[in-house]
Amino acid sequence: MTGDVWSFSENAAVASEVALAAEGLAPAVQGGPVVVEVGRARDGVRGGGERLVLQGCPQDGPAEALAECISRAAKSLGPAIILVGATREGREVAARLAVKLDVGCLPEASRISSDGKTVSAERSVYAGRVSATLTSPLPCVVTVRPGSFAKSTGATGTVRNYDAGTPEVRVRRLGSSRRETGSVDLKSAKVIVSAGRGVKRKEDLPMLEGLASEMKGALGCSRPLSSDLGWLSEEHHIGLTGVVVKPDLYLAVGISGQLQHIAGMKDSKVVAAVNTDRDAPIFQASDYGIVGDLYQVVPALRKALSARH
Amino acid sequence: MNVAVCVKHAVDEGELRFDPAGRPLIEGAAGKMGAFDKNAVEAALRVRSEVGGEVVGVTVGGADARKSLKEALAMGADRGVHVLDEPHLLNPSRTSALLAASLREAGQFDLVLCAEGSSDTYSGLVPPMVAERLGYAYVGYARKLGVTASEVRAERSLEESIESVASPLPAVISVVSEANEPRYPTLIQIMQASKKPVAEVRAQDLLSAGGTHSVTIGSMFAHSTDRKRIFLEGTTDEAAAKLVDALRKEGVISV
Amino acid sequence: MDESALVYVALYLASVASVALIAAVSVSYSKQSSIRLTPGRLAGLTKDEFARLKGGEPVFLMHLSIALGVGVSIVAALVEPALGYAPLLRDAILAASVPLLGGLTAALVWRVQRLRQSKRIERDLLKSGRDFSVASTWLQLTLVAAIALTMTELALTWAPSLAGAGFLVGTARNLLVAVYYVRPGVNLAGSYDRPLSSMASPFKLGEVLEGKYDISQVKVGVGKMGDFDARERSSYDSCVEIGACEASCPATASGRPLSPRVLVRELSRLGKGESGADSDPLTTVGDDELWACTSCGACVSSCPVGVKHLDIVYDLRRELVGRGKLDREKSAVLENLARSQNPYGLKPSSRADWASAAGVDVLAEGRSAEYLYWVGCVSSYDQRAQRISRSLAKILKGAGVSFAILGEGELCTGDPARRLGEEGRFQELAYQNIRKLASLGVKKIVASCPHCFNSLKNDYPAFGGRYEVVYYTQLLSDLVREGRIRLPGTKVTEISVTLHDACYAARYNNIFDEPRLALEASGVELKEMRRRRETTFCCGAGGSNYWFKVPQQRSMASIRADEAKGTGAKTLSTECPFCLSMLDDATKVSGDGLEVKDIAEIVAENMV
Repeated sequence: MTGDVWSFSENAAVASEVALAAEGLAPAVQGGPVVVEVGRARDGVRGGGERLVLQGCPQDGPAEALAECISRAAKSLGPAIILVGATREGREVAARLAVKLDVGCLPEASRISSDGKTVSAERSVYAGRVSATLTSPLPCVVTVRPGSFAKSTGATGTVRNYDAGTPEVRVRRLGSSRRETGSVDLKSAKVIVSAGRGVKRKEDLPMLEGLASEMKGALGCSRPLSSDLGWLSEEHHIGLTGVVVKPDLYLAVGISGQLQHIAGMKDSKVVAAVNTDRDAPIFQASDYGIVGDLYQVVPALRKALSARH
Repeated sequence: MNVAVCVKHAVDEGELRFDPAGRPLIEGAAGKMGAFDKNAVEAALRVRSEVGGEVVGVTVGGADARKSLKEALAMGADRGVHVLDEPHLLNPSRTSALLAASLREAGQFDLVLCAEGSSDTYSGLVPPMVAERLGYAYVGYARKLGVTASEVRAERSLEESIESVASPLPAVISVVSEANEPRYPTLIQIMQASKKPVAEVRAQDLLSAGGTHSVTIGSMFAHSTDRKRIFLEGTTDEAAAKLVDALRKEGVISV
Repeated sequence: MDESALVYVALYLASVASVALIAAVSVSYSKQSSIRLTPGRLAGLTKDEFARLKGGEPVFLMHLSIALGVGVSIVAALVEPALGYAPLLRDAILAASVPLLGGLTAALVWRVQRLRQSKRIERDLLKSGRDFSVASTWLQLTLVAAIALTMTELALTWAPSLAGAGFLVGTARNLLVAVYYVRPGVNLAGSYDRPLSSMASPFKLGEVLEGKYDISQVKVGVGKMGDFDARERSSYDSCVEIGACEASCPATASGRPLSPRVLVRELSRLGKGESGADSDPLTTVGDDELWACTSCGACVSSCPVGVKHLDIVYDLRRELVGRGKLDREKSAVLENLARSQNPYGLKPSSRADWASAAGVDVLAEGRSAEYLYWVGCVSSYDQRAQRISRSLAKILKGAGVSFAILGEGELCTGDPARRLGEEGRFQELAYQNIRKLASLGVKKIVASCPHCFNSLKNDYPAFGGRYEVVYYTQLLSDLVREGRIRLPGTKVTEISVTLHDACYAARYNNIFDEPRLALEASGVELKEMRRRRETTFCCGAGGSNYWFKVPQQRSMASIRADEAKGTGAKTLSTECPFCLSMLDDATKVSGDGLEVKDIAEIVAENMV
């Protein structure tokens, strides 16, 4: 079938990524990319092609209302593919849309292609161990994993308004607060820099905190630092007796790698380690290793990270 | 209060084996109850202990899915519903349609609890799809729950914020892992749970009115699970630069 | 008869009556608790009492002083009217009273110290209620009074003219004994020969599966006081606040919220309270109070009156597990055991990776070996601990011992599950292992982990697994004695080593001479710690504590590492992979250069 490829995300940064995915996919279904917006077109959202602005719908959702409005527009305008950013709100939007439109749904795509009759999406499953390609007939809803596409730099084309009406909403928002800063959420961190006994003094921890924040990650530690020395609170403690984590990158600094610790981070996607002892067990459990003194390597890493900018 | 809790017999990714070509051997792979599903069961049991009522465990899957259902019963659910289906991997439309249909048959529920996602595929689509199909309100990613006779209040854990919401009943709620610490059922409790009633329903009987959209699996291959164990040599600065380069190539750092 | 003679006779009769009361109460208690006070048991008990002195715990010397002091003074009182005609007997009694007075004085001093300590522990560690604390103080003062009265009575034997006063004092003390100390005495007589390594089980999985009883009838754990069995009740009701358990408990010493004394006393009080049998022990005993226990057995083995604190801890842990009151760490261990048959949750297929590199055979059908080497999870998976298994393999090969391992077929013995209170999971693993061992016809096993060793030796027979199980230090000492390991024999290396006895080897299974023999044969200089052999101090990993955290002020391992450092030794030798890991961590933190090594490593390094 032919039709447009719609892209939507309530998160402006993700919306620009999904827009790029739509731009790439549109020729295959002989349609154009359409960035779907609610209430008004947001300045921060980039994307080539048409901009479809749904009127009537509350601009900040909730997902229940967003899905209803988008489905109303889709029923009358008939897109071939609707891409939705796989954020926590976005997943609800996509799920509801697929049911409302009675179409298939492919989740968590990191790559998407189409042959004009079906859409195929590549995603990772089984805790990142397996990559799977799934196919479903058109039309179809696809959720797109944030971070999988670069942000579109396309210029906005025509703006089209569509009156989607104001749907009924059942779930009331009572309030919203930023996540507490300072609280450690290692389980959801994408990057973890973890400190071990190689750190000689508590006063040296800010150096590692700095590295972690420059990598947009969080600071963790091995058992001695939290349980025995008390330099960091227990919520930082990674290991079998602490938090079990699966980040994209686990950077172990000055950790020898007792099994207790390894068992708490073995499912990380990529593991890198810095340690003075080439025979330290941590290197057996790492993809990349630097044998050296963390007091020299960490500043060098920070320098290397900033070198590009 | 009648509470249903959906559980999935997920592929145990830790025990997954691969053929020489790197394709995962999904058939016959070891399964376990989805890690987050335990949080959903725990949340259901806590609702019951606060406001009373019944907890019904529901699962969709092959014969071995009974194991996870039994585990939910061992944790404390009162009865179970097992929708027998060929394993349809990665098709949330079908799973949600079967769950919704079986829930309609199994009783009048005030609350349907689900996990934020399954531990094997983690799509996060089934719970809102079930809500949409049943016409229930939906609260996703709850980390705190407070239930009264007519309303549920929840704290939703979103990417950058915590949102407090109130929803009328009936509602589908998905819970995040930080919501609670699920109880461990003892071996004896699992054995004793065999005596709790489980209704078995065949998928084709539930979906006779119409199928769902197909999802076919084109290919599956393993990412290498062995660590590369590459030592980056050179001066400290060289090694550090090599590491940053490698990490950027792996796509695991965005700076 | 004059007045003073009348008073003498009256007091004497009162004294005899009070002794008769003790005898009557003893018989009554022994009937109540179905503990039979046969002459054989009493003789066995006496022998055991003297044997325990060898352990070196001062409390047993005091205990014996009190027991003998009371005994001698009772005999002296009974024979007092005849003493005028038997000067030799009088001399014997007087001679005996001197050392007893010395022992009793020591006991009195120790008691006063314990009283102060116990109040500090109640206040700072446990935040005990006032009622509890007052009752505890009274009971301790009662003991002080009994000791003081006995001392007075013994002293009075030196002044025949004051015999009447002696009867009076003796009668008062006898009344105290009848009311307070007969029950503990009877309890001791009933339990002295039940070893630390014996553990009761409320069911047998094999029998359930055979349909001998219905699964719904199986009751695990103790949810109300009435569910404690007679032996457990006798245990906690026998506590008279001696406080030896508290003084030896490593959990108390590390500032964890546990004192074995308070635990049993609280239960005793709860059982006697208003709703008695129906009350829930877990309203009094806190979760962390139970998790704080490392099952090291110091409390049980130091209790002079045979209280078995551990039975109670296990039953209450089972109850906690049954109620689903486990946090993530503890459930993770149990889930790992269920899924991967090792507490780490690591792949069973990589269990024997270390062995293929070390050239160790895996036992299979049709392949036989004299010994099955039971490696255990830690020395199989943990890279540091693999040095134990590699060293032992090297030694055994060098000595020409025929041995093989189970490889992937070895599963956790289940000990962590059992000590955590998940009896079902333990038995599931035990039955699986027993089936495997039977299929391979295994008869002799050597183990290098004391927890595996204890499980195989003492737990498995109840489920049908009977083997000749030896600990690797026993095998090492045999090989040394037989000259099959070639060691320097003389001190050529001049390394000073101190040995940390593992609780499950030393205290549970009386293995302490063998590791010392093996070490000394390796040419090292042995520098001993004060707490050694059966009075060793736990590293903090036992009772499944390796797998979770309990709030504490200072880790047991660091307390122990300091003690080791105090000997001046350069190397701290362990004989358990858990001890190795705990003490390795502790010395890393303190950074004092004490090297931690397993005995097998030390022996292997010194082989010539």
